[in-house]
Amino acid sequence: MIETDQLHIGYDQQTIVNDLNIEIHSGKITALVGANGSGKSTILKALSRLMKPSKGVVYLNGSSIHSQKTKELAKQMAILPQNPEAPQGLTVTELVTYGRAPHQRGFGSLKAHDKEMIGWAIEITGMREFANRPIDHLSGGQRQRAWIAMALAQETETLFLDEPTTFLDMAHQMEVLNILEKLNVQEHRTIVMVVHDLNHASRYAHHIVAIKHGNVVKTGTPHEVMEAGIIEKVFGIKSDIIKDPRSGMPLCLPYNLCEEQAASPIFGS
Amino acid sequence: MHSIFSGEWERKRRRRRIFVFSSLAVLIFTVLLFSMNSGVTPLGPLEVLKTLFGFGNSNQSLVLFQFRLPRIVIALLVGAALAVSGCVLQGISRNSLADPGILGITTGAGLFVVLYISFFSTVSAASPYLLPVFALIGGLLAAALIYILAYDRQLGLVPMRMILTGIAVAAGLNALMTVLMLRLQPEQFDFVAIWLAGRIYGSTWPYVYSFLPWFIILSVFIYYRWRALDTLTFGEQMAKGLGLRVEKERLLLTFASVALAASAVSISGGIGFVGLIAPHIARRLVGPNHALALPASALLGGLLLLFADTLGRTIIQPSEIHAGIVVAVIGAPYFLYLLARSNV
Repeated sequence: MIETDQLHIGYDQQTIVNDLNIEIHSGKITALVGANGSGKSTILKALSRLMKPSKGVVYLNGSSIHSQKTKELAKQMAILPQNPEAPQGLTVTELVTYGRAPHQRGFGSLKAHDKEMIGWAIEITGMREFANRPIDHLSGGQRQRAWIAMALAQETETLFLDEPTTFLDMAHQMEVLNILEKLNVQEHRTIVMVVHDLNHASRYAHHIVAIKHGNVVKTGTPHEVMEAGIIEKVFGIKSDIIKDPRSGMPLCLPYNLCEEQAASPIFGS
Repeated sequence: MHSIFSGEWERKRRRRRIFVFSSLAVLIFTVLLFSMNSGVTPLGPLEVLKTLFGFGNSNQSLVLFQFRLPRIVIALLVGAALAVSGCVLQGISRNSLADPGILGITTGAGLFVVLYISFFSTVSAASPYLLPVFALIGGLLAAALIYILAYDRQLGLVPMRMILTGIAVAAGLNALMTVLMLRLQPEQFDFVAIWLAGRIYGSTWPYVYSFLPWFIILSVFIYYRWRALDTLTFGEQMAKGLGLRVEKERLLLTFASVALAASAVSISGGIGFVGLIAPHIARRLVGPNHALALPASALLGGLLLLFADTLGRTIIQPSEIHAGIVVAVIGAPYFLYLLARSNV
């Protein structure tokens, strides 16, 4: 379980997140949603110790992450930032091998267990047939799966992903989300991700944290968060919430901007 | 499950690596022999071998052991050092245009070498053993200046800003060196001119001994960190996520690469482009993994500088073209080619 206690996060003098208290439940998928610039990525970075909060503490299973060694933390949490870049010519297997970095020291070569984990990560992400291809020769969806495989090879309980489906077409988005769901169901991994698509959040996440201007507007199950009033507050859109006939989860169908949003000149003056 | 590590593809790759490294070794050996043969006093290949094993006459021994060998060894070591330094700088800045020469680190080192030399009435009075120390101070000051000017608190070390700052710092330091030259004695003036042209001036054994410990310690130190270097090429966030202490490792690696380049040019003169070309070709040959790219860079750098130096001193005998100029003739177009390809 990951908890925050009165977290303040900011760049320079500017505060982005104020007094944040959230809980991330173990073994569940949590989706952070919000408009552009709402601070959801910043919160993800703070939770995964990529960014140091100016005040407050992040607790991982009861102990503060700020006092732990970054290498030890890397055995407990893996992070996939937005648009990661690999050096030219690096193959999928080589990339995934770096996921073992926190478990290795100095010149150390790969042990049997390392190889097992690398093989498993490549297998579960469906990257086997591309294992020896250079990353820069892959499609966007395959590339994203390769990066997920790398994060998986890290063998961590928790996985943080910053917009893992952005820039992918629909089939590839679903492919990535299905892998994450499989990991959660089969391997009981805790997954925390920033997602743009509310309906994806509703369909795949157990918990949704809705964020606006660095503050949590609402947190709870998709049924609790996916309400027209909350959506309006968080995204500034009017929408109908209907029931997905297949999954029974709430679906958001936006139909207009809110009054204040609609009245303001969007396309410049 | 393990078959991804033992497939046909992996075997092919291994064969290719062995081929690359052995070809490099053969090439170096060939240039080495040629370099030992050629010079004002011609020595045939057979005479070289005889002399090497102690069967040559005293004249041949003198030429080979006191004149040619130290210079060859220095060319190889300096070339390797500059290449490894460039490889590290490119890795941590994630920019294939980073090079100790372009970034002004070698110029900073040179400036301090010149300052040191100018304390003495004659160049030969200055002890070669203190040269790397002064060069190091100059190199580090230049690096610190670039770091401060190019660092952004939100974006970290911005690669392109770092290159541009480096070029500006190099230009500034060069100007400073020129100003300094005007106040020097004729002999010291000649020395600075030679340094700027990139001549391998330290061509006796004491220079080798003064540089060798630096070379060994720093190279081993850097090679031990190949995994950190690999991880850093994924970017700051990814590296942190993989458990790397990014700030600490980057600082250590920068320090080591600056020290390596600075101590190298303290005995060779300002030679640019080796640190740019060698790592780039090395990565093309053996891939981005630093466990292989670092040694391949070192071999290529040594080969390149030895070739340039040998060519420079044989092509218009008995006069010579300084190694730095020969390298620049090859390197400048290569730099422009890289610049054109990097879409900036």
